[in-house]
Amino acid sequence: MPHDALLEEPPGATTHPENDDLRSLEAGLDRLQTDADRAPNAWRRFTTSVVPPIVFVLALIAAWQLYVVITQPRPDLAPGPLEVAAAIGGAWESGRLQLAVATSLERGVLGFLIAVVVGTPLGLLLAEVKPLRRAIGPIISGLQVLPSVAWVPAAIIWFGLTDATVYFVVLMGAVPSIVNGLISGVDQVPPQLRRVGTVLGAGPGRLATLVVLPAALPGYVAGLKQGWAFSWRSLMAAEIIAVGGTIGFGLGSMLDQSRELADLAGVLATILVILAIGILIELVVFAPLERRMLRRRGLLQGGAR
Amino acid sequence: MSSQTADHTAIRIERLGKRFGAGPLVLDDVNLSIEAGEFVCLLGASGCGKSTLLNLIAGLDRPTAGTIDVPTQGAAVMFQESALMPWLTARQNVELALRLRGVPRAARRGGALELLDTVNLADAAEKRPHELSGGMRQRVALARALAQDRPVLLMDEPFAALDAITRDLLHEELERVWRRTGRTIVFVTHNVREAARLGQRVVLMSSRPGRVAGEWRIAETEGRRIESPEVAALSIEITTQLRKEIRRNAA
Repeated sequence: MPHDALLEEPPGATTHPENDDLRSLEAGLDRLQTDADRAPNAWRRFTTSVVPPIVFVLALIAAWQLYVVITQPRPDLAPGPLEVAAAIGGAWESGRLQLAVATSLERGVLGFLIAVVVGTPLGLLLAEVKPLRRAIGPIISGLQVLPSVAWVPAAIIWFGLTDATVYFVVLMGAVPSIVNGLISGVDQVPPQLRRVGTVLGAGPGRLATLVVLPAALPGYVAGLKQGWAFSWRSLMAAEIIAVGGTIGFGLGSMLDQSRELADLAGVLATILVILAIGILIELVVFAPLERRMLRRRGLLQGGAR
Repeated sequence: MSSQTADHTAIRIERLGKRFGAGPLVLDDVNLSIEAGEFVCLLGASGCGKSTLLNLIAGLDRPTAGTIDVPTQGAAVMFQESALMPWLTARQNVELALRLRGVPRAARRGGALELLDTVNLADAAEKRPHELSGGMRQRVALARALAQDRPVLLMDEPFAALDAITRDLLHEELERVWRRTGRTIVFVTHNVREAARLGQRVVLMSSRPGRVAGEWRIAETEGRRIESPEVAALSIEITTQLRKEIRRNAA
């Protein structure tokens, strides 16, 4: 291999005193110019990022309970935390809660994954092909502003009361976010990285997969995160409006059912479950993914997150 | 456009002209031939088209007139910004160049570590660019350029953004790598002392349009330092000529 031959040390080069001199000089300067590794402190992260929200939620519940104890409102208009907890317990015992959570999560996750599969190539195409982007870009941005619930009536007419209606609404909510996230991620790829990729001999295909996509990852992940939020929201809205037919029993349906029974404790309980799932997905899936990615690229500020 | 010329000439530029669209002429009638293994510094004030010339040699752009002959294997390029991939470690950045060159997976890791060792960075192989200083990043970029294994190395003001101490060390590093690898190096700079310190040959370019305005050959290049008297003497000579060229633009 010519490359090895070129790098071969000429005889005696390693013991050349000036060479060693340069090595130690460079090593000294390198040490001066870089910081020592700072190990992330798990306990500090726990106290700064986990404890404050938990304390706040506990305080909120305590204030709520205090209000109920002091003012003694009608329980059907302002149920206390205990009644809401009892409603969650009741739904769990009857098995409705597990069924609703399983149904909604399955649809949410599946719908989101379909949105990723549709949105990623579409986003890459729009980011790289300028005429297409000029034509389709504004419409995608517009779709992001349009509440996807607006599609429910049309979807019901097209697909009837089936799962297809739910998935259609979820897709219309999530795909624009993912596409826009990927486009803005690609726009922020520093031009010199593309130039280097070309100089190193990457054709258009490998330039996209080895340089542009990884470089665009921060924007893409932000888009995925927003895409998930839109999927989850659209799903709940669709489930509340489209009830019956072959559409299964999800959290939105459970919410609507509680409303029909004027069961406010049940409504609040369901809202809390929907909220909790949203927070849980953010904390378990997106936050670690984002933190890891930003830390690797040196984009994470301080140790607060 | 690219064909290996018979003798020891690595790069032959003849009657080269370049303009962008309907704009003014950036390069006009540039003639230059660079021998294999030669270290040439292209020196000039802003707007002399030295970066444009480098991009033309690199094949990143096409000339408007004239011809450029470069070795068929092409040229490696290093820029002022290190332009390392921020999501890859130093080793993976070098491996990327090996991968795009078609080196099989099994040989990449060892090759990358060996190249990082040539620039004294074997210890920092697993660090990511943001953990490295500016000088270290440029050395990784140099290792990456060497990984391309092209006979010609084009450098576009690679040390311009570094502090003087670091730049001084990198001059030594680059000179050592050049002597060891026998690459043909074309080094673009606007720093007269840097050119006098590094080049076997310094080519001065005039501005708007860029032409070759002067040339100096340095017979004995070994053991030079930026503070050496012969470097200082040459710098004064080149600066005088450079100022004359710049003054012409005032008229």
